[in-house]
Amino acid sequence: MMMGAALSRWTMAYFAVALACLLGAQAMMVMGLGYPATAVEDPQTLILVHTVTIGWLSLLMCGALFQFVPVLVAQPLIGAGMVLPALVSLLAGLVSLLAGFLQLSGDLETGLPFLPVAGILLPLGFGLAVVVLGRTLLRGRPLPLPARFVAAGLVCLVATAAIGVLFALLLSGLDVLGAEVDWVGEVLPLHVTAGFGGWLTMTAIGVSYRLLPMFMLSPDKERITGKAVLWSSCSALALVLVVVPLERALGGPGIAWHAACLAMLVAVVFYGVDLVFFYRHRKRRNIELNSRSAIGAFAALYLSVALLVGLVATGTLGQNSAALIYLVAFGWLSGLGLSQLYKIVPFLTWLECYGPVMGRKPTPRVQDLVVEKRDMPWFALYFAGVLAGTIALLAGMPDLFRLAALATLCATVALVVEMVLVRRLFNVSVASRLPEGTSRPRLFLSSAR
Amino acid sequence: MSMPYYDLDVRPILREGGEPFSVIMQAVSSLAPGQSLRLYATFKPLPLFQVLGARGFEASAREIGNGEWEVIFTPGEAAADPVVKPTAPAAASDDKWPAPVDELDNRDLDPPEPMVKTLEGVEALQPGQTIAALLPREPVFLLEELEARGHSWRGQMEPEGHYRVVIRAGNPRR
Repeated sequence: MMMGAALSRWTMAYFAVALACLLGAQAMMVMGLGYPATAVEDPQTLILVHTVTIGWLSLLMCGALFQFVPVLVAQPLIGAGMVLPALVSLLAGLVSLLAGFLQLSGDLETGLPFLPVAGILLPLGFGLAVVVLGRTLLRGRPLPLPARFVAAGLVCLVATAAIGVLFALLLSGLDVLGAEVDWVGEVLPLHVTAGFGGWLTMTAIGVSYRLLPMFMLSPDKERITGKAVLWSSCSALALVLVVVPLERALGGPGIAWHAACLAMLVAVVFYGVDLVFFYRHRKRRNIELNSRSAIGAFAALYLSVALLVGLVATGTLGQNSAALIYLVAFGWLSGLGLSQLYKIVPFLTWLECYGPVMGRKPTPRVQDLVVEKRDMPWFALYFAGVLAGTIALLAGMPDLFRLAALATLCATVALVVEMVLVRRLFNVSVASRLPEGTSRPRLFLSSAR
Repeated sequence: MSMPYYDLDVRPILREGGEPFSVIMQAVSSLAPGQSLRLYATFKPLPLFQVLGARGFEASAREIGNGEWEVIFTPGEAAADPVVKPTAPAAASDDKWPAPVDELDNRDLDPPEPMVKTLEGVEALQPGQTIAALLPREPVFLLEELEARGHSWRGQMEPEGHYRVVIRAGNPRR
């Protein structure tokens, strides 16, 4: 039996913390903290990277999934009471992690064991999120295709966090696996692949399979291509995360790595086929800014794949991996995140504010909450900044990189201001802003009915 | 069964993208006592099995080629003789909703307009009346709102890929 889905109470709070972390990370890049000004393995770089991956991308994704998974499987969220403890735990864990990195660099001199504390709090927070989302998914079986991507993403989140704990222990001086393990050469790529390729990319793809047809009115019957994307991307991840390390340990011929690359290429090709299908077969001729700006994110995904292939072919992946990761994190994942936030925040705000009087009183349209014309240039500036930043990293020009980061920061500030205005119903004419029976939404906390 | 079938072919309506539900329900209400309905459709009309099953009809369906179906709805005893009181009145009355006063086609509207239009239709109902709506997908937020407002609903995905919901207005809460 399908059930209704309620507004997720804490999703706006997740989004707010996530956006604050994004702004903080971009400000760090503008100020020249972390790579490329310092080495990749410098604690400053670790602070920057984890502010982006945990603070911005993971909190964004968790907040979105708490709202989105119940809609996907038409079931109420199971264990909604765990959502706020998860946020508190993740946030405290992130602060401990960053403090631990500051201890490593010598900028913070206290005896408090910040890294081990982070190694407890972050898995706890992610664990709570995985339990809530996982149980809701289990209740919603058989899972529709987008939910299966999300489920695969959650498995990879567990893997990423588990490897992260090993690193936290190692950096605290506890060498759990022994000295013969090549941490940076062997284990770190697994952490990065499981995080970016598994947790964040799989869930982003899953969300896109539902949101794109929903907002463009494209046919969303499950197609064979979508299943091909799911199975080939899962195979690629399983090969990279499990088979390749085993093969290395046992001294195999290295076939698994090539098979993984092939599976990944199959996945991105079929995903491209589906993306083109959604855009070409949409019933809505004039698509909104969220769907238009998402094209920038998809372009960044395909540029990332081309860059990866190019770097592997020329044998220069090692020294240029930062440029690749920057393009994936800021072009593909952050670009998609910002473009969809631009729709999700107005939609949820509209539903929260006007849902109770809908059908009884005239209400503004969702589109009335934003001014697309004003915001389009900011998305253009954002993606131009990401592209310039990637080129600057590839060309080894740190000052150009800071300038490009400034462009993305300005664009992000403008979009965040726009989202605050959305929550404040600023763009709705005063006469129709709050009909009788409605109340003004709070900035971070959605009202429950 | 000696009485001839009441024949209804809704294939032309379906091919034109129309919604034959009201035509079918009209045909059902004009059946003579004991008469069966023979329906031709471009798909196996599973939702109808449930709707007419609740009214005491038994369905037998067979594919007649090209993915098209012939379904014969035969009245059971309760439907054949309206004088016979149902044995479980509470359950039976629970199952019998009046025919929808309107059938809204909200499939091609931009989200969230399908929800707005459906709720507008619901708010215009008298308590106990029903309205049907076709929606582009499972309307999870709509269902939540209907429950918050004390209305009941029945719905399911249709074979063409849209969602059909019938909503019965509850007593006004506000």
